[in-house]
Amino acid sequence: MIIPGGRPQQAQRGSSEPLWRAIAVFRFASVGYAALRVAVIDRADYSRPDWAWAVIAVMTAWTVATTIAYARPERRTRTLLSVDLAVTACLLLSTAALQYPQAPRHGVTPVTATWLAGPVLAWGVRYGRRAGAIAALIMCGCDVALVRGAAFGVALNGLVLLLLAGVIVGHVARLGAEVEAERQRVIEVEAASRERERLARDIHDSVLQVLAMVQRRGAEAGGPAAELGRLAGQQEAALRALVGSGSGETADDAAPGSPGNVDVRAMMLSAQTDRVTVSVPAQPVLVPTAAAGELASAMRAALDNVRLHCGERARAWVLVEDEPDRVTVTIRDDGPGIPDGRLAEAAAAGRLGVSHSISGRLRDLGGSASIRSVPGDGTEVELRLPHGASAAVARSAERA
Amino acid sequence: MVVDDHPMWRDAVARDLTEAGYDVVATAADGAQALRVIGAARPDVVVLDLQLPDTSGVDVTRGLRAACPAARVLVLSASGEQQDVLDAVKAGAVGYLLKSAALPDFLEAVRRTAEGDAVFTPGLAALVLGEFRRLASVPAAGGRDAPSLTERETEILRMVATGMSYKQIATRLVLSHRTVQNHVQNSLGKLHLHNRVELVRYAIEHGLAGAPEPGGSA
Repeated sequence: MIIPGGRPQQAQRGSSEPLWRAIAVFRFASVGYAALRVAVIDRADYSRPDWAWAVIAVMTAWTVATTIAYARPERRTRTLLSVDLAVTACLLLSTAALQYPQAPRHGVTPVTATWLAGPVLAWGVRYGRRAGAIAALIMCGCDVALVRGAAFGVALNGLVLLLLAGVIVGHVARLGAEVEAERQRVIEVEAASRERERLARDIHDSVLQVLAMVQRRGAEAGGPAAELGRLAGQQEAALRALVGSGSGETADDAAPGSPGNVDVRAMMLSAQTDRVTVSVPAQPVLVPTAAAGELASAMRAALDNVRLHCGERARAWVLVEDEPDRVTVTIRDDGPGIPDGRLAEAAAAGRLGVSHSISGRLRDLGGSASIRSVPGDGTEVELRLPHGASAAVARSAERA
Repeated sequence: MVVDDHPMWRDAVARDLTEAGYDVVATAADGAQALRVIGAARPDVVVLDLQLPDTSGVDVTRGLRAACPAARVLVLSASGEQQDVLDAVKAGAVGYLLKSAALPDFLEAVRRTAEGDAVFTPGLAALVLGEFRRLASVPAAGGRDAPSLTERETEILRMVATGMSYKQIATRLVLSHRTVQNHVQNSLGKLHLHNRVELVRYAIEHGLAGAPEPGGSA
């Protein structure tokens, strides 16, 4: 469980760890560079080289100390950072005692070289842009004091870079913290909604049971109670259809299959009522998204026909099968059936309710539909959608 | 025996069964209680609610079959969750019915369960069909052992799944009622057998010493 209070702080620290490590690396590298300058590059400018080496040693020791100190988030306090700033500034200013007086005026690098950016970066990462900028200005101030206005133009470059570094690093640290906090929020929301879903399932089951019970009692009691029971039965079927289609969708999220495919079971199950039974396999039945809607519409058209021709009390069964080469949807009703020839007659006469809407839709999808009817034994509509057929049709439709 | 965590349902079902002439030897409110009681009760039929508080209906089915192999389990489900029902059937349940089924249908289902016939609703038939198709398409493990339905069995299951009664199927296919029933029984039997084989293989592969007693060794 994630504890709310103090979260922003924790988030900032979490996301800024890589930055702290980078600062440590930078400081060590800078010490090396400073040592290099004293040993080789600026050798001629140092009037007291022994003391310069002592300063380098102090710098090294201080880098080690601060790296260890900053390793723990709770130790990154204003006090420590201020001390860091002060020590670095002093070491910077000590250059005056180490180099020949005219050296700074000629733009020679102070003994601390790039190392003086250390506390500036630390302030930026810990306390943001403004803190980084202020620390940079303080350090710049010391640098200017060192130079005493002589080679100010030359030193200005370095100052501007330092200021930029402080501000940018501070900004980056803030961005990182915000992203981290956002991520925490999303995780929390997700966990909460999963919990809600689980609770909803339990509640659904309880409600379904109670409705089924009411239906039963109503049927037993007869009279007005029977009507209540019937209504309860309808609602029970509707809720069950809703629950079935809902969980179908979440299963889809878990195993999406190739992009553009959707689990068509959910749409089929939503057609369930107390007179219509929808039977599906236990695994997702994947169909290209475009085709799924059309297939469901064709099914509903068939069910509408059942209601139209066989009355409200007629029962229908929908079977969804996922065969290796195609998806088959069978709709059967227990109505009186269509007399021989009537179907062909209707198609020929142009009243194409049954044949056009359904067959046409399936043909457009690259599949087929067939109707079989035995008088007295109901009507069977079979919709066949080969896998890959609708995809090919969609592609050719796009090109057209 | 009636197992249901909803007291109203438990009592209602028990009452309906008693009124229909059956002998309700035990009731249980959760999986653990059911397993405790079945040994002494020795029922012929167990009416089991799939949604139990402590264990899943599937685990209870397995446990009940292990404890009392002669008992036939009829699963009742409120929401008809597909995978749960399929798993229960694979674990040894002989039939499944929605709680919202009408009373006559329920009593008929119990009668058929007691006689040893599988209770196949259209929903269950579709699940079983889908399961066989899935097993056929799973390459490696399924391979040589994948159970498959004969064409006739597939045809009959499809008809059951579209709501046809055994009588209607028998008429259409020009078979006897009994033959149709047998075909349906066989399909279920193949599934049960496959499931047991898989369990045993799993036990052997994972070195589970003394592989579990083939649960419902019928």
